Amino acid sequence: MRTLLFLLCAGLAVAQDGAVRADWPYHGGSQLAWRYSSLDQINRANVAKLAPVWIFQTGDYEMGLQSTPIVLDGKLYLSTSRSQVFALDAASGRLIWQFKYPLPRVTVPYGPQNRGIAVGGGYVLLATYDDNLIAIDQNTGQETWRVALDDMRQCGCTITGAPLIVKDKVIVGGAGGDSAHRGYLTAVYIKTGRVAWRFYTIPGPGEKGHETWKGDSWKFGGGATWMTGSFDSSLNLVYWGIGNAAADNDAQGRFSGEGEGANLYTASVVALDADTGKLKWYHQEVPKDVWDFDSSYECVLLDREVRGQMRKLLVHINKGGYAFVLDRVTGEYVNGFPIVDNHNWTTGLTEDGKFVGRVEPVEGKPTLFCPSPLGGKSWNETAYSPRTGFLYTPTAEVCGEETVVHEDPHEGRNFIGGTWKFTNPPNGPAHSHLDAYDPVTGKRQWSYPYKYLLLASILATGGDLLFTGDPEGSFFALDAGSGTKLWSFQTGSGHRGSAVTYMVNGRQYVATPSGWGSLAAGAFPDLWPETSSFRGGSTLTVFALPEGTR
Amino acid sequence: MTAVDATLSPNRQSGRRRRSVVRVMQTWISLLCLLPALACGQDVIARGAEAFGKSCATGYCHGPQGGSGSTAPRLAARGFTEEYISQTVRRGIPGTRMPAFEAVIPRAELIAVIAYVESLNGITPSMPPARDTEKKLPQEAADGRELFFDSVRGFNRCATCHEVDHRGTPVAAPILKIPADVAALRQIATPEIETASADGESFPALVISKGKNQMKLYDLTAPPPVLRTFPSGSVTLKQGGNWRHSGVIAAYSDQELGAILAYLRAVTGP
Repeated sequence: MRTLLFLLCAGLAVAQDGAVRADWPYHGGSQLAWRYSSLDQINRANVAKLAPVWIFQTGDYEMGLQSTPIVLDGKLYLSTSRSQVFALDAASGRLIWQFKYPLPRVTVPYGPQNRGIAVGGGYVLLATYDDNLIAIDQNTGQETWRVALDDMRQCGCTITGAPLIVKDKVIVGGAGGDSAHRGYLTAVYIKTGRVAWRFYTIPGPGEKGHETWKGDSWKFGGGATWMTGSFDSSLNLVYWGIGNAAADNDAQGRFSGEGEGANLYTASVVALDADTGKLKWYHQEVPKDVWDFDSSYECVLLDREVRGQMRKLLVHINKGGYAFVLDRVTGEYVNGFPIVDNHNWTTGLTEDGKFVGRVEPVEGKPTLFCPSPLGGKSWNETAYSPRTGFLYTPTAEVCGEETVVHEDPHEGRNFIGGTWKFTNPPNGPAHSHLDAYDPVTGKRQWSYPYKYLLLASILATGGDLLFTGDPEGSFFALDAGSGTKLWSFQTGSGHRGSAVTYMVNGRQYVATPSGWGSLAAGAFPDLWPETSSFRGGSTLTVFALPEGTR
Repeated sequence: MTAVDATLSPNRQSGRRRRSVVRVMQTWISLLCLLPALACGQDVIARGAEAFGKSCATGYCHGPQGGSGSTAPRLAARGFTEEYISQTVRRGIPGTRMPAFEAVIPRAELIAVIAYVESLNGITPSMPPARDTEKKLPQEAADGRELFFDSVRGFNRCATCHEVDHRGTPVAAPILKIPADVAALRQIATPEIETASADGESFPALVISKGKNQMKLYDLTAPPPVLRTFPSGSVTLKQGGNWRHSGVIAAYSDQELGAILAYLRAVTGP
């Protein structure tokens, strides 16, 4: 049966290959962001025997370990929240080199957070908490170049997302869309560190879309690019999710009412020419966003049949709790569906993908919104398995009371325009679930419920397994077909990072970061007082099947 | 979570000097408050509550009335000491996201916020009254500051290469000598610029260090400069180059450069 399933799927694999094998070369596995490895040495039949083989402690507990390791040619590269980088022997855990970046001496906007590095062209590319991009020699750990992409003391911005390598360039986004700041994406030549292009997510005077901003609000309108995009080499297009408009809750100062869309290109997915950074198309998911509903999450690139026709698709989940299916050649809306059970800010989507029945926050009186600004999903990333054909996504069933507070922008300063209080949904306690979806129709296949929020990314494998971890420290495997839990291991601290898998000398390994922390983790004690005792950490735990058992 | 917890921990270390400063402040506010009315402290607290609502009880931070916020901890009824509140509000918690508000909000607001958070912890406000001592720049210098750090210009702003007043990137050495006028600024000579040849190309460079094993230089091909490290011996240097300071400031008008000079004089002068 497995062989038959494999043969059936082989046809799809020829058309498009977003799987990785021995290595984990990109943040999302491949540039298509599937977070899927075709390795199947560890599988449903033997996962119960999985055991730890080595553990690495980074020593950097700040804001938890939120990273995705990169693995190439038997070496594993790991970054921490305060921009420390380690190169390890992927089979033994032996430290090969360590890059010590100076620890912050001043306040870091939103706290220092790092979700990964990129490796390519002989370098490890590190985007630091204070807006520098650094090329570290992959073999020696020595700095080769560094360039300041901004000044966090002025912009109130920082870099949290992993850079994405695209041909001879490295593309990096930035966080800071809740400060008075204008977002951008920057492409830098890997060899020299010189800036190749910068795409401002808010059009300047004379550019199309500028008319959707009132007065000077475009200078401080947010649109951060704080996660990692994708790349389709056949179309030469880079896809990136753009964050919320600022002030988050208060559109009075920025909404012009002119042009198509509102506050472009915030809360949108953009497709850019990889060589020039020129906009090819955009799809704004939440025009005039007033809920902090970023669209900054991963863009999963899939080729799937839609109504009898093979289409190049992009699946993207918004913080507002909806998934969007777009044609990635044209940006055309194909489908949309909610991924959370609690959603009250809209009555739904029209056939052409427009939200209707919007309920907006007001001044002076808290309004309950579901989802909350934590998002119907946090930034922890989905996985797609070409074997099951399912998209696996974590969700967050949390609501929030939001009140508009008018404020004027001051460059680099907090620019939220409102107050929030996270709460339980009206009909029960806050919780989460990890779900399997048909990514085109939005049909939920199964659901794995959990009492807190699942804040770690999902890893899918050719062994028909899913791996992820929970805030209580448990790292576990589910059957990708049914959602049944097959194995777990207590790592000692909560999970906020992203597990990967790889193979060295014929042995498959699964590596997971653990270490509780991050902004979302800071919201836990109010919702669940007992979680205030959850301890931080910063550990990479690596598993394999015992020798001789595979 | 650890960062959030870090912002909770009261700093119990209080030196004798700090205690005496607080006593002086308490005496000061007591004296000043006696005159207008006993309601003086209440006014400060009310102003602080308003400022707290704008700067502290927002989105990702603390909650209204000092309650726990979306992701930052509760501040009310925590048993914080006045030293701890003052220190934390003024200087922030380095390495975390708690800002040093001393640098971001006017002094009057700062004092009021401290008083308000004290009141939430059962402490009678002990801070001196509002006295805005922020350095007010003359209009032309204030305009110059905007232009120097003008983010609308992207990398083509002075702050891409100069750090002034704790902002900007210190590619160039600190500005010690300010040109007499706009004409002099446009004619600034840069004898330290060299032409580097490495990896089969030549580019204008500002050498930072020449060590036994490696050389560090800024590649000035286009802004922003890139700090590049080469093994010693792999780069050849030639005096002079095609990079001109007048080129990178060409987009600023004479009037704008005049304002920038006024700003530099205001912040680096006596």
